[in-house]
Parts: sequence; structure tokens; C-alpha cells
Amino acid sequence: MIREVAWQDVMYLVFAIRWTLLLTLLALSGGSLVGLLVAAGGASGSLVLRNLARAYVGLVQGIPLLAWLFIFYFGLSIVGFNVPPWVAATVGFSIYAGAFLGEIWRGALISIPRTQWEAGLAIGLTYLEQLRHVIIPQAVRVAIPPTVGFIVQLIKNTSLASVIGFVELTREGQLTTAATFQPFTVYLLVAALYFALCYPLTRYSRTLERKRRVVH
Amino acid sequence: MSFIELKSVVKRYGTNQVLRNVDLTVEKGEIIAVIGRSGSGKSTMLRCINGLEPVQGGEVWVDGVAVHDASADMRALRARVGIVFQSFNLFPHLTVERNITLGPMIVKGMPGEQAAALARDVLRKVGLEEKLKSYADQLSGGQQQRVAIARSLAMAPHLMLFDEITSALDPELVGEVLLVLEGMAREGMTMLLVTHEMSFARRVAHRVIFMHQGKVWEQGPAKDFFESPRTDELKNFLRAVLH
Repeated sequence: MIREVAWQDVMYLVFAIRWTLLLTLLALSGGSLVGLLVAAGGASGSLVLRNLARAYVGLVQGIPLLAWLFIFYFGLSIVGFNVPPWVAATVGFSIYAGAFLGEIWRGALISIPRTQWEAGLAIGLTYLEQLRHVIIPQAVRVAIPPTVGFIVQLIKNTSLASVIGFVELTREGQLTTAATFQPFTVYLLVAALYFALCYPLTRYSRTLERKRRVVH
Repeated sequence: MSFIELKSVVKRYGTNQVLRNVDLTVEKGEIIAVIGRSGSGKSTMLRCINGLEPVQGGEVWVDGVAVHDASADMRALRARVGIVFQSFNLFPHLTVERNITLGPMIVKGMPGEQAAALARDVLRKVGLEEKLKSYADQLSGGQQQRVAIARSLAMAPHLMLFDEITSALDPELVGEVLLVLEGMAREGMTMLLVTHEMSFARRVAHRVIFMHQGKVWEQGPAKDFFESPRTDELKNFLRAVLH
């Protein structure tokens, strides 16, 4: 049955945002855990850890996100694990986010000059104390703008989860289109909602970037 | 045993031998200027003394600690040996006060209030008491270097190492930093300075050391050293820098 786009459809779309945001948050949490390991390994003194981190980043960034989602959704069910879409999406996105966040944070860590480590060492700080009081506070400042920038990418990329049946904003748009046959109106609305989520973050990231030039 | 003893110290970076059997003894209260061409190993020697660079051979003894020994308590040593770098290396994300209190509070467990009072004390010594709440990028190079000295002094070191600390400064800012050093010299601090300031070395140092090709090539009391150098290498060097 074909019907007009009603007020109720609009509300469905608006409420679907929460699944987009939830998936973003889950991916961000999982991705942060992975990313911390990748950054720590990638910036460490150990050649083995550095190579492991590099291999991970290379592998993940060399395969499309969509392929990762298919691997976890269809691939795991073939070998006998029946994975619900949200689990497959969370794992897939975490792996993906972990590689990118790991690279961003590794870059931030190694951007702090060696002389800062030395200055910490010279007053008798241990390795962990140097990290905590000297290196990480400075690295965080460097990392925040690109991290926020990546979150914007992540929000938009969660739309890919629609292909494995995870109902978020884009999937909700597909369902609404199927009922109303008004793709232009519906996807314009979907686009506007993504924009409303992402644009403030993009602006915020710019502001942070400007602020960073004036340290402290 | 002397306060500092270097015995046949060897330092290599890969196949590049930077220190070739360096021997040196320094007594407590001595002020030593170390001069030489760039690449002669003078900065490296300084960095070996507080263990920033591990040595490949020989022995480094500082205040009774075997620095060459991997199991030495470097944390305790570094709390007693201050080093000031050419590029200041203040922590840019922290105020001047926090730059100074970080070491005493974390390494020595000093209570915050006591550390804050100490920060004011050492800043007064370098004449920058009013910069307590400033950040490094709000200070001139000379001021940053004086804060870096204050940061080292806050650890109450028995020995201060200075690695070309005026080389990155504009000429008009050199004087204020050297003035601080002279103050410390008067208070009897044991000091090793790698420096290009020959007139300062001559005026303040008890002994001057000339390093050449990774060795202590010639040394002597400041006056004799500059007036009657013995080796051709030192004569050439002095001619080049004093013209």
C-alpha cells in the first residue's frame, strides 16, 4: 500500500537517530580500546609491537568497511555463529575505528619531541610518570581535533550498517521509501538529519584546531 | 673517591665512536667549563654523567653512584644531578610554577604547599618571581632558560650540568642567564658547563677542559689554559674562537 510521507514517518526517522548514535558510541568505545593498544604499540620502543600495530592498521585500512561488516555478519554465520546485526556492526565498526583512532593517537604521541621525555627523565620521573604528566597531556591536545573529525566520519559511515539489516537512520529511510515511494523527500530528510548531527561537530573540531595554536 | 669520576668512558652510536676513553675527575664545589668543536663529544660526555646516554665501556661514578651500571638507582641520582638543556625543554602545557613543583612533588613526595613555596624561592633566585603563573610561550628565551634552571634547582641538586645553555639565545639575552650561573657559582654549587662563552669560562670556571676527537685533550686552571695552551689543537681552536 502506497501512502504519503506523513508526520509519523518523519518522527520515525528522527527517532532512528538514536540507533545511529548508539552504534557510533559502541564503535567509539570498542574503537578506543583497540586504538589505545594500537597507539601504545605503534609508539613503543619494541620493534615487534610497532610491526604488529602497523600490520593491524594496514590490514584494516586496506579492506573496505563494508567488507568487514559482511565478514562479521555473513562470514561468522557460515562457520556456525549466528550473529545479530548489532553485534556484527559493533565489532566491525570497532575494528575499523580502532585502526584509525590508533593511527591518530600514535601520531599525536610521537609528535611530542624527544626532548620533552628527556626533560621529564632529567628531574627523575619514571616512564609512566613521564607519560602521565608530560607526554599524554600534550598529546591529547594534539589528538582532539582529528579525533572529533574522525567521529564525524564514523557517524556518516554507520549508514553502512543498514546493509546488514541494522535499523538506523539510513535503514529507516529505506523502509520509509518502500512504504511511500518518495525517495527524494525521504532521503533529503535523512541527509538533513545527518547534517544536523555532523555539522556542529565539524565546527567544534575547527574551533579546537584554532585554539590549539595558542597552547594551554 | 672524587665527586665525579670518569674512567676510560667509551660511547658509541653504531660504529661512530663519540667518546674514546674519557678520563675525568671533578671535586665537590668545582666549576668546570668544557669547550671544544661541535662533534668533539662534550655534550655527550655531559649526558653520560647523569645517565641520559648509556655508556659502552668504562666507568662513570657520580656522588658514589655507579652510573654505568644498568641496575643503578637512576631516579635517586637524577634527583641529585640537575641538567639544563640548550633548548630549555620547559613543559609547555604547565605553568612556570607547575614546571617547577612537578619534580619535588612526584619524585620526592613533597606536599603541594611546601612545593609552591619552594617554587617561589627558586624563581626569586633566577629573578622571575612574578612569572609564577605564566606559560613558557609567554616568556623570552632568556626567561625560559632561567625557569629551566629554577626547575633544576628545585630538586636541590648536588651537581648541575649545563649543556650549551646560552647557545640558542639571542645575544642580548645571554647575560641574564650567565648572571644566574655566577650566582650559583658563588653559592658553591658543583657545576659542569659545556659552553662557547670563552670569557665567561675564563672568569668563572676553576678549570677548563678542551675536548677533541672524543677525548679530554687538554685541561688546566682557567688562566693558564687560555694564556699558555700546550697542544696545537687547542691553540688552533682558541685562535678560531677568540680571533
